[in-house]
Amino acid sequence: MALSREIYQALEAIVGKRNISEDIGVCETYRSIPSQSSAHYGPSKTWTPLPQAVLLPGSTEEVQNIVKICNKYNIEFKASTTFWSTMGHIGSDYGIQLDMRRMKKVEIDVKNMTAIIEPFAIAATIQAEAMKVGLNLNIPGVGCSSSTLASTAGWVGFGPATIFMGSTPENLLGAEWVLPNGEVLRTGSHGSGDGWFCGEGPGPSQRGMLRGIFGTAGTSGVCTRMAVRLHPWPGPKDFPTRGTVPAYRADFGENLKFYTLCFPSWEAWARSVQYFHESDVLYLGHRQFSMFGRNLKAAMLRILNNPDLQLSDLEKVLEDPEIKKQTESMKLDYQIVIAGMTKRDLQYKEAAVDYILKQTGGWKNDMMLDKEMHDYGLLYLTRLGHKNLNYVMCGAYEGTFGLSPNVWKTIKVVEDAVAIKRKWELEHTSIAATGGDSAMGSTSGIGGGGATGWEFFTNFDSYEDASVEGTCKFMDGNQEFHNKHSFGPDFCRWNADVRHMNGYSYTQEEHDELFIKTPQPWVYAYQYKMRKAINPKNLCGSYFRTLTPEKLEAAEKGR
Amino acid sequence: MALKDYRPMMERCSSCASCKFIPFDKIKSLRFAENCPSIGYYNFMTYSARGRYQLAQSILDGRTDLNETVVNTIHSCTSCGACDIACKVTRYNLELLEHNIELKAYAVEQGKVLEGQRPVIENLKKENSMIPGVKKANRTDWAKDLKLKDLFKEKGDVAFFAGCKYSYDKKLQKVAQSAVKLLQSAGVDLGYLGAADNCCAGRAHQMGFYDEFASRADSNIKAFEKAGVKTIVTPCSDCYHAFKRQYARLGFNVEVLHVVEYVDRLIQEGKIKFTKSVPLTVTYHDPCHLGRLGEKYEPWNGKEKKIFNQIQIWEPRRPRYNGAHGIYDPPRNIIKAIPGVKLVEMERNREYSWCCGAGSGCNESNPELSTWTAGERITEANATGANVLVTACPWCEDNFMNAVDEDGNKMKVLDIIELVQQAL
Amino acid sequence: MAKGISSDDPELLDFFAGDESFARPIKPQLVVCPENVEKVEALVRWANETKTPLVPVSSGPPHFKGDTVPSVPESVIVDLRGMNKIISINRQQRMVIIEPGVTYGQLQEALAKEGLTLSTSLAPRATKSVLTSVLEMEPRLNCVHQFNYTEPLRCTEVTFGDGHRIFTGEAGNGPLDLKKQWDLEKWQVHSNGPNMTDMLRMVLQAQGSMGIVTWASLKCELLPTLHKMYLVPAKKSVDLEDFVYKTIRVRFSDKLFIMNKAYLASLLGDTKEKIADLKAVLPNWIAPVGISGDILLPEMKVAAQEQDIADFAKECGLQFLSAIPGASGEEVLTKAINPSGNVYWKQTFKGAFQDIFFITTLDKTSTFINAMYEMAIEEGYPTEDLGVYIQPQHMGTSVHLEFSLPYDPNNVKEVKRVKELYITASKAISKLGGFYARPYDIWATIQLNKDAQTYKVLKDLKDVFDPNNIMNTGKLTLK
Repeated sequence: MALSREIYQALEAIVGKRNISEDIGVCETYRSIPSQSSAHYGPSKTWTPLPQAVLLPGSTEEVQNIVKICNKYNIEFKASTTFWSTMGHIGSDYGIQLDMRRMKKVEIDVKNMTAIIEPFAIAATIQAEAMKVGLNLNIPGVGCSSSTLASTAGWVGFGPATIFMGSTPENLLGAEWVLPNGEVLRTGSHGSGDGWFCGEGPGPSQRGMLRGIFGTAGTSGVCTRMAVRLHPWPGPKDFPTRGTVPAYRADFGENLKFYTLCFPSWEAWARSVQYFHESDVLYLGHRQFSMFGRNLKAAMLRILNNPDLQLSDLEKVLEDPEIKKQTESMKLDYQIVIAGMTKRDLQYKEAAVDYILKQTGGWKNDMMLDKEMHDYGLLYLTRLGHKNLNYVMCGAYEGTFGLSPNVWKTIKVVEDAVAIKRKWELEHTSIAATGGDSAMGSTSGIGGGGATGWEFFTNFDSYEDASVEGTCKFMDGNQEFHNKHSFGPDFCRWNADVRHMNGYSYTQEEHDELFIKTPQPWVYAYQYKMRKAINPKNLCGSYFRTLTPEKLEAAEKGR
Repeated sequence: MALKDYRPMMERCSSCASCKFIPFDKIKSLRFAENCPSIGYYNFMTYSARGRYQLAQSILDGRTDLNETVVNTIHSCTSCGACDIACKVTRYNLELLEHNIELKAYAVEQGKVLEGQRPVIENLKKENSMIPGVKKANRTDWAKDLKLKDLFKEKGDVAFFAGCKYSYDKKLQKVAQSAVKLLQSAGVDLGYLGAADNCCAGRAHQMGFYDEFASRADSNIKAFEKAGVKTIVTPCSDCYHAFKRQYARLGFNVEVLHVVEYVDRLIQEGKIKFTKSVPLTVTYHDPCHLGRLGEKYEPWNGKEKKIFNQIQIWEPRRPRYNGAHGIYDPPRNIIKAIPGVKLVEMERNREYSWCCGAGSGCNESNPELSTWTAGERITEANATGANVLVTACPWCEDNFMNAVDEDGNKMKVLDIIELVQQAL
Repeated sequence: MAKGISSDDPELLDFFAGDESFARPIKPQLVVCPENVEKVEALVRWANETKTPLVPVSSGPPHFKGDTVPSVPESVIVDLRGMNKIISINRQQRMVIIEPGVTYGQLQEALAKEGLTLSTSLAPRATKSVLTSVLEMEPRLNCVHQFNYTEPLRCTEVTFGDGHRIFTGEAGNGPLDLKKQWDLEKWQVHSNGPNMTDMLRMVLQAQGSMGIVTWASLKCELLPTLHKMYLVPAKKSVDLEDFVYKTIRVRFSDKLFIMNKAYLASLLGDTKEKIADLKAVLPNWIAPVGISGDILLPEMKVAAQEQDIADFAKECGLQFLSAIPGASGEEVLTKAINPSGNVYWKQTFKGAFQDIFFITTLDKTSTFINAMYEMAIEEGYPTEDLGVYIQPQHMGTSVHLEFSLPYDPNNVKEVKRVKELYITASKAISKLGGFYARPYDIWATIQLNKDAQTYKVLKDLKDVFDPNNIMNTGKLTLK
């Protein structure tokens, strides 16, 4: 149903003629398709619904006025920034899309290590500005091309830097939200105009309504500004990236070192992670290059670092005995960066890494010690600017499994998961046969260690129907494995309960049926009540998981 | 390839946002992080390379028609290739620039063009030039006092090709003239095509007017062959790209050099010597068609193959055209060789340089986009603290000369040849 | 008090009617001591049916902030001190789960046996509930490990005011039974969640006005095998700012805070006379800096940080000392990390005290300090008694700034003066930009009056979790 002229003109009056469009061509480019994106449901080749208009707001005030109109006329709205993920797209036939591209400011309080950011400020730009003043920020595994505000308000948010810097919710200070009811909520100390420095209180923290273990994926309105913590950066103020594209690398000076640590067993791997969790040694830690698969990672590293090589050379490179040796060496590995804040600090951290390797029987991979590879790995992990390597092989990927955030539980079952994937690779053609183990993830999902996060990179061809369908079947099967070990939803299906395969939102009835079966259904009933308080007309789609309290109460009475 | 043949690429694009920024490893600030003038100016996703892939899918699927807004979107692209380079930092199987141009060609084929494009193409057909209003008869006026051999009448080692902009633009003609004199004084045996000197039509190809390009290219190739040309030198980056890449694809196999490559060589051979100091702080703008799009054409006739079930490779290996081997060092070598000059780099340089805004005929068809794009570059140039913006393309120069930065300030613009002249 | 008892004994009711603060005493009607969560659930359901206000109390006396004093008549005190089990200690996960009545002394002793310790607030009183301390976000001495503002608190079991019980954090995703979760190797580690909202944050700093927490999982630190404390003296607080910023920025130290001499003297002195003696010799301002090592090359780590931090001090024109006139680093460390004796240390000097604390940034503290001193002078309060404590938090992004005003509770003039100063200063601090994140007593009105939207949403949340407004009714101005 198209917007009436009256509504369209009202919206146009808010953002200006230049910043609104209902043209079919424009609106079509604001649909998402799970096979080409990160959707965490599917994959499928069904587009999400067509928005009736696309708006580019330039301020909190404009967003607020837009939301008020949506409330008045019951129009669904969703805001997104880089539009990588399907989450930011609408889920019904009567909705408008907010593209937050015009809001991208970054202000830094150097002394108190804080950045105040707008939605379209991607992590790369915030980091670049922060590094000028000796600071850095947590860039989640999604990469530096994503919006930091969106990672914080919308999704998960941990990555290589989390062990040192904390995950996105741990870095959140004050924030500014346009709630779905059209009110503007400023959380923490920002609410009373005292500054951005404290994200909690007064009293119970209202940000708790807007962000949990993951964010609310645009269903709690539009976050238009927030303050995030920054962290020390003992490297150069200016990114000294050199090299011929695509083999960029950077020498960050004497204070930063990159290593690929390898271990003889998963048990030794886990013990080393435990050491790092219990100490303050790591700056960055990620099992990064396993994204290419156990069998291919060494070869891919060779290709990515040589401008004269490309994917077509992969089979040939794999025949190299040196690559075979490196493949074996890196089988159970992860990548780390240590940062010496002073010379003595670096000496201590180097000694600590060596100590940990000695205690666990691990070693530093020698190929990655070469200066060029060192500078490549260091740049890679620090800027995390190669997210689209997720797609380098086939064009599409989803992260499957996820396993447990507890490393000791994970290592007991990881080879079983590897075997499942490897079997599928060999018996079917739908996913790339990269060697089973393509588990990429952070050495810690929360600041200071204690939880890890993994996803098995499953690469498939978004163009080939058989590949898409086969991948879907593979993912269906993985959930059985997850259920067996009580791991909850497989990472690739985290959003299966919030958007249908056909791209449309769930109804309340459908959600009630799902969440009444959860171990603690009152969690969802409370979320229903919270949503009702700030989003009475339920205007932002069904990513916000809710259970009608009356239904739960009735069910409980019936027991 | 027809538009529908790009379908696999359209569907393998993952909306990762790389096409909207310079390579992430190169970002040094918030202000100068972006790379695409089109989405930079219009802001809607539709204007990015990803948006174009998605737009194309919806057109092919019949969900979108070629209405006025869609046509404007399709043609509001300077074909600068910045999106292409950024994507290719990590992808080996997508061709963004090719697709952007193909989408234009698809629209052109159906008569869907911008009003501002019509006089450009009309004049190409009528007067053999893509500058509206100019006449063929005046094309070689700029060279009348130069001792340039007519290569149809006399043999010469190198064919000098000025290009339309240097030929007709009165404020820029002196650059072409200076270039000729510089090369001649260094002992280069220069000639030109005389009456057969006509527009390279490279911009027509960028605009999607394939037939018009092909027709002009065919004539030009025949002219060069008849004149026995083995080496072309040009001061125009657009023409450089046209001959080195687009004509080469048609089988045209001569050595193509930009003036900067030639002058760099002559300096190294000691045939050009600087005698004066030029106390300027300059910054250098890499023209798209000399830099990232200045790589040599490599013939390829292959197909897609899958290994390891689904990994897509090209068989045989496909040339990447990722800007790795563009012409970046020769102009910088020249600048560094000039006594007294200090070179400061803009953040977006070399293969990830920001476009001047004139490409693909946008200076005529989409002047607001073109002017805004140039203004962005002036802002960036001014931010370096340089006094002068130096470049090696007349389209860039003209656009920069007419632009102001975000505070309304102009900047002095010189062609690299003019800078060289000051040191002689 | 024994578990499972309810009592309307007049003495007991009087005991809970007031505390050491200026909060208006209101006598409760009953004191109930539930012994398990089922009883708590039943109690809350009953309170909903009868519209009876409940006031949860987990710490022993004395209380100082007015949060345990009923704000409305006919309240029932829910005394949780009897629920004092340490439910589990997991060395591998560095986690401990405790009930409300567990005190710091009890906990630290048990943790030490496993090679663990809990980051502590400054010298908590002996009867302080650890659970309340973390729920109310008392500032910790180690801000460098405060990745999440809510550290060390992770998951909880909470019965909300509407009578429903859930686990918060990752624990909310599993069975509503700790043992069943452990069978699945879930260890209640992750504080965020359980789903798209942080239910934990609904009970933080809430003074029991949203629900009753009956266990909490806490993240522990490794017990140091080497632990030192140094002291950095200065004439003015502002002289220490650069040093503190520098040290925390690079994540050195395991404890770092700033005190003026009055505050430090109160901490160290066991008697009134000793405190007076210390005030006479201590430097005006002191920044105690703790450095520790545990299992990973402790000597090397401590030696490196000692030398580096000493260099920082030197660069800032300061000294880095193991002792200062009146105090050694070791003494300060011992006092800081251990619970207070039988008499809470802040009461030693004059018998009573009133604290004013709020959140700001380190670079603004001198503005507040100067203002506070001026107001003290105006009210006739002896400035040499005014204690100041600056605790960096959340890895240095903000600080807890605290003014402590000792006074003689038996001296009517002093009581009046301190009360007036407390009110005047609280308002002035707010005007200057101080943020009462923990809005006790009058601070709730002051803070929420500055932010109408927050107040509205707070009321909405109260409606969600305590629709009949029975949980500590009246707190946070929610009547």
